[in-house]
Amino acid sequence: MSARSRRIAGVFLRRFARALWDAKLGLSVPAGRRAAWARQIRLACEELGPTFIKLGQLASIRPDLFSAEIVFELEKLQDSVRPVPVDAIRARIRSDLGSNPEELFASFDPVPLASASIAQVHRATLAQECRPACGDTLPVGTDVVIKVVRPGIERIIAADLAVARRLISRVGGIGALKRLPLARFLDEFEESLASELDLRNEGRIADRFSFDFRDDPLVVVPRVVWRRSARRILTMEYIDGWRLTELDSVNRAGIDGYRLALHGAEVFMRQVLVLGRYHADLHPANLFVTRDGRICYLDFGITGRTRPEQRIAIAQVLAATVYGDADRALRYSRELGLEIPLESEDAVRSRVADILASTMGGPGPSDVRGFAVGFLSMLADYRIEVPPGYGLLVKALVTVEGVSRALYPDIDIAAAAKPFATRLIAREFMRPERIAERMPHAIAAALREFTR
Amino acid sequence: MSDDFMRFMATWALVHETADEGWKAAVARGVAGEGGEMTASADAFVDGLSAMIAEEKERLKAELSSGRTEPAGDKGDVIAKLDELTFEVGELRGRLETMQASLDAALDHGEG
Repeated sequence: MSARSRRIAGVFLRRFARALWDAKLGLSVPAGRRAAWARQIRLACEELGPTFIKLGQLASIRPDLFSAEIVFELEKLQDSVRPVPVDAIRARIRSDLGSNPEELFASFDPVPLASASIAQVHRATLAQECRPACGDTLPVGTDVVIKVVRPGIERIIAADLAVARRLISRVGGIGALKRLPLARFLDEFEESLASELDLRNEGRIADRFSFDFRDDPLVVVPRVVWRRSARRILTMEYIDGWRLTELDSVNRAGIDGYRLALHGAEVFMRQVLVLGRYHADLHPANLFVTRDGRICYLDFGITGRTRPEQRIAIAQVLAATVYGDADRALRYSRELGLEIPLESEDAVRSRVADILASTMGGPGPSDVRGFAVGFLSMLADYRIEVPPGYGLLVKALVTVEGVSRALYPDIDIAAAAKPFATRLIAREFMRPERIAERMPHAIAAALREFTR
Repeated sequence: MSDDFMRFMATWALVHETADEGWKAAVARGVAGEGGEMTASADAFVDGLSAMIAEEKERLKAELSSGRTEPAGDKGDVIAKLDELTFEVGELRGRLETMQASLDAALDHGEG
């Protein structure tokens, strides 16, 4: 057993022992047990470094595979690691772009702007003008950021994954672990990470997002400098502003937070329901508010897709949720692949109605996160599988609420969504096939009224 | 057909703009989203629809005042297609530029 294998096994053993203790040796209530495990899994990921931080981040958007407690706990993972020495970054730029950064750019800042598990970011300024795929030309002297994949990270990830696979083959069948599809998750993780390590993919998604919202004056996406980008390097326009995590009362005073929060929610709805592709990793650290009060979207590593036939059902589920209509929410959830056994149907409907009433129907602001946690836990209790796209969407919705609250803490996102939901339904009713489908019922109802 | 329907309703709304206070109230409720519960959705539906028709009416009004006579869809479609095409060319240019950068770097290493 290598030193790294021993360390990984040791950290997990220690954390699991602690989880066992925190869960009162399994005697606490199921949700309490799951929360204790979730917390220790998060701490283990942070302790074990980049591969496990990334694994945790990916698990945090998979409520179809992991419990609500794990998903929402892993969302708190801190992705900030010790920077790589600038000489290693310089060497990578030289190897991938042919010259030192000082020759490629008018200026290059050796002090990193950020250092995360996969990549490190440095500031620079353009030495040549650049024409992006979408938007105006970037002139000489434009401030840019250079995102560079950490040298050696591919090797570290491959080695850690090999250890993780060996561990899973030994302990994956024991106790609660056997309910988690860990081997399948590792396969998906490997595939997703390969895509994320090729930064050109992120650049292309950013370009597409920028194009999709080209007419929206409140949305900003950094333009990509393709001639200074390669597989492991992405150069993008620098946008000045505050991350949502940095917004305080002083800088919040200069922006219209309520308007931005509403607009952010509408942008998300447009992505899901109209464009069919959405930013699925929209936590407050991936969003900026510019100094002129616009929303800037960053980090397009994880995106979701919706098919046209799904979008109608999603619109109906969203509308049903904000209006507290359990029956409709479940009916259209079925169309999205949620399989509720007939024998549990009444009980599930009643539980959903309770959760809706307690989280969305009370006198105070609605609580989308509370609804999602309750709903996903209820599905786990009834052993109802969550379809992958459905889970990603539920998680993304919770994130939208979090982002909106970071912009405007008192916002009630469900109340704000009601006009949007009403219009969606009206639009849906106006589709010719819906009119044709409903016309016989409408005529029959009208005749009943006349002949009464 | 639904676009034609909306256009027809917008035309009706434009002609009857000053006459119908009930209609104006429905639009106001639809815009404000006070349409009521979806389970008893008839009112919410009418209000939401009224707001959509009012939006279409404003577009129609702007078109008429700008003196445009060509069918509304045609010019918009051409512009959208041109936009999409321009973006695709931009995307391809980006791909070529990044490939060129990688190729130049590889050649430099080969020569070095």
